[in-house]
Amino acid sequence: MSEDGTTALPPRSRGVIALIEENCTSCMLCARECPAWCVHIDSHQETVAAGPGGGRDRTRNVLDRFAIDYSLCMYCSICIEVCPFEALHWSPELAAPETDIRELTHERDRLRTWMWTVPPPPELDEHAEQAKEVTAAERTAQRSRR
Amino acid sequence: MGWADRLQEAYGGGVDAGTDPVAVDVPADRWVDAVTTARDVLGCTFFDWLSAVDEGGDGFRVVCHLAAHRPGAVDHLVVRTLLPREHPSLPSVAGVFAGARWHERETHEMFGIEVTEGGEVLDLEPLLLPEEFEGHPLRKDFVLASRVARTWPGAKEPGESESTPVPKRSRRPARPPGVPDPEEWGPHE
Amino acid sequence: MSSDEHEHEQTAAPARYRVVGQGLTLSVLDVGLACCAVEFAAAVAGHPDLLPLAPDDDDAGEQVLVISGTVTDKMAPAVLRHYEQLPQPRRVVSFGSCANSGGPYWDSYCVTKGIDQVVPVDVYVPGCPPRPEALLQGLAALSEKVRGGLG
Repeated sequence: MSEDGTTALPPRSRGVIALIEENCTSCMLCARECPAWCVHIDSHQETVAAGPGGGRDRTRNVLDRFAIDYSLCMYCSICIEVCPFEALHWSPELAAPETDIRELTHERDRLRTWMWTVPPPPELDEHAEQAKEVTAAERTAQRSRR
Repeated sequence: MGWADRLQEAYGGGVDAGTDPVAVDVPADRWVDAVTTARDVLGCTFFDWLSAVDEGGDGFRVVCHLAAHRPGAVDHLVVRTLLPREHPSLPSVAGVFAGARWHERETHEMFGIEVTEGGEVLDLEPLLLPEEFEGHPLRKDFVLASRVARTWPGAKEPGESESTPVPKRSRRPARPPGVPDPEEWGPHE
Repeated sequence: MSSDEHEHEQTAAPARYRVVGQGLTLSVLDVGLACCAVEFAAAVAGHPDLLPLAPDDDDAGEQVLVISGTVTDKMAPAVLRHYEQLPQPRRVVSFGSCANSGGPYWDSYCVTKGIDQVVPVDVYVPGCPPRPEALLQGLAALSEKVRGGLG
């Protein structure tokens, strides 16, 4: 422990969960998989009218409420792992202690501000397999060269 | 002679060498003999734990983990027996290993397994559960009331909220794991 | 008094810590019930702001009970007695998800869903478990609450 009593944080430390609202499609997977039932999502459907070129109207989900109750959260990462759209990320910051337990439920505005504290992902270990996106991109590049 | 072979010789049959640790299945009326054999013939002087597994229609499988020390190594043994679901009754092995009494108390209150000594049913004091507790929590049919009482955030469909239900619900609302059909279990009006 | 409650009485003086640097004295006593107790121990181990308090030290300031760990229904009366045995002024810090709300064991058949069902809680520290730094943050928040005269 250093002089001021803090310890150096290891990479990928789990402090608090951050949300990129733009990536969220209200698919409800995180809310369903959470073992503590602490993710609360409200959404509604909106119709996107077909453009001048024709076609049919489409519906899309609009997020109304996304909240995580940190009094219940067990920091298991299941919500972050299951999200297909990478809307949730770990931040090493600590959620502040509160005198009112209701303040431990962070709504989406607060969850967005945690995004500013999310570090870039750490480098892969030198013996690790290459990331699949890199392998796919290299394959595409090779094909276009032929 | 290997450990599994010694078990085969001591018990005659029912040895399952495929599990780790090695297990031996015995009938319920041979339970005390089996544990005594483990202690006296196989040198299992260490009683680790005794508990049960609810195997549904088959009944309750009572499991006891024992260990024998030899210089530089430990041999493990799991002794098992199957009790019928309707009236599960287990003879006590506290006469063989005194520490088994606590484990039998816990197994009794968690599974509702009756423990007998010399043919008499023992009146065992609850060990872990509060006095007012009703039911046997580790049975598979024990419902966790909190999961029934609390609204599951995942019950909503994408595009649904309290004020805007999804127009067409083609299938029944999803239930979280461990929550039975409200027709079968739940508060009465 | 049932025999259960007799077993819960303290027979030895518990370890208390004085928190410095907050502008007031806090005497912190940990009710270590589960994994969060390890984080509490990590927080107090050699921390410059947390000094062991002698058992007969009378200048104890605010008595703070830190509940670290899962509270089971069988253990809840003992925690209540801990709280009632503290002289005034006394405060409670709920440390970790289990003490806040039952946490990962919220649906268990035997877990009290938050120690605030049994004693009044002044500060809730989130985490599972909270880092040692979070304990200091929680005590700082408590000091602010006490100094602010709220509650």
